[in-house]
Amino acid sequence: MANQADTPQSAPPFRVIMFADFICPYCYIGQERMEQLARDYDVQPIWRPHWLHPETPPEGAPFPHNVERARATAEWLKEMAPEKAACMRLPNKMQCSFFAFEAAEFAHDRGRALPFTSAVYDALWVEGKDIARMATLQEAAARAGLDAEEMGRALRERTYMERAMNAVAASRAAGIRSTPTYILGRTAIKGWHYYEVFQTVMEKQGMLPRTQSSTRRG
Amino acid sequence: MDIQAATTGGRTCAVGDRLSLCAREISVKLLLRQYIVDPREVSWKSGQTEGITFQCQVFLSGADGGPEALRFRFDPCPRVYAHMHLTSQFQLLLGGTMDFPKATMKLRPVAVHYADHNLPYGPFSTGEGHDMLVLHPRQGGLVTMADRTARRQIYLAGRQLVGMDREREWLPAAGLEGVRCKFLLPPGSGPQAIMLECPCNCVIAAPVPTFGRYEVVLSGSAVFSGKPVEAPGLRYVAGDEEPTPIRCGPAGASLILLSFDEDAMAGGLGDDQLSRSAAEAIERAI
Repeated sequence: MANQADTPQSAPPFRVIMFADFICPYCYIGQERMEQLARDYDVQPIWRPHWLHPETPPEGAPFPHNVERARATAEWLKEMAPEKAACMRLPNKMQCSFFAFEAAEFAHDRGRALPFTSAVYDALWVEGKDIARMATLQEAAARAGLDAEEMGRALRERTYMERAMNAVAASRAAGIRSTPTYILGRTAIKGWHYYEVFQTVMEKQGMLPRTQSSTRRG
Repeated sequence: MDIQAATTGGRTCAVGDRLSLCAREISVKLLLRQYIVDPREVSWKSGQTEGITFQCQVFLSGADGGPEALRFRFDPCPRVYAHMHLTSQFQLLLGGTMDFPKATMKLRPVAVHYADHNLPYGPFSTGEGHDMLVLHPRQGGLVTMADRTARRQIYLAGRQLVGMDREREWLPAAGLEGVRCKFLLPPGSGPQAIMLECPCNCVIAAPVPTFGRYEVVLSGSAVFSGKPVEAPGLRYVAGDEEPTPIRCGPAGASLILLSFDEDAMAGGLGDDQLSRSAAEAIERAI
């Protein structure tokens, strides 16, 4: 039995899903929550795309000029995620995230979606790279332990295009309206939150951290 | 200064929260509780918390289990830390500025910021001339979100609502000649905030305040149950009976009515550690 207390063995695995877009700074700092949950609980978080700006062409588009908004966002990030904010670069254009969604499907099939999506966020928000470029996605793939050449072929042949489109449509059909949105079992968490909120939601649904569950099993 | 002593001076009437049972209908009727505060009768005191300095008037301390109403004038501060209170709350911005970076929310007077109990908000900054009322149905305490244990008590489904005077249109108030109204938080959003601009000696009969309502004088003066009150004085009413109508003063009055909904019944200070810390934090601050 896993760490879900008082649940029959036949119960389906506990769902942890994050609906996100790489171009959302709150998703970037919110990705850490998925990594923490994967580390602390016996769950396999799933990253699902929610396409915020489908109108953005592959080469990107200028940001609406809003210096004040950018400054306010930077201030908030500095307060809530000081370590990440210290390393963050705000991009100089709106980037197209769809190719990265296709690449995430590729990574998902190989069980490396979480490290791959984290690597894509780092490429955009730390290194300031364009995630619509093949080279950027291949570098992220290599960092996540994936075969970069194989991913390159899949992207060139648009092997995952339809699946990525379907995933985007499914997110909208599921009523997702903002990013990040997390689904933890029966509970939705909208927007960035403290990790303790996630822990509380997990534990209210009977999910115990690995340390406690192994103690109980032992 | 003793909080209770400061509060007693401003409170003129507390009917109490006796229950009247109607046996046949098996219903519980809450008698009206009413508190009236004239700011001229409440002294100012200086306070500080986490490096934030301010002046404060304790309109209602909530020490008797009743409402808690505080007036703050924060010195300009670039960062008021993220925090929450254990009851629902209206913040009524009367002067200066409050900027919340997360949603690029920039409050300018007259503005209402509502948060459900245990819902964190902030950080925010305050600008020159800041003046606001912080209004709770009961004592709400103060919980910094730096407290990791407290984060476990966050009310995930909590609502945060904002309404600003400058973003709403005046409408004629139905059935009230010469009165204009503005819905800062319109009916249907749960908690409500309605501004009223009333001519001299106008009489306003507000509905039954089931979950509690603050009636604040924004400008001019008003008479609540025979007591004249100047801006930003207030009355808090709660119960299943209609309170006495509000009579506007000889120069008219602008009022804002801030009505709580069911969330006012939730949360509050208990005997747990978080409540004790929250109560201590607000006591230390003011």
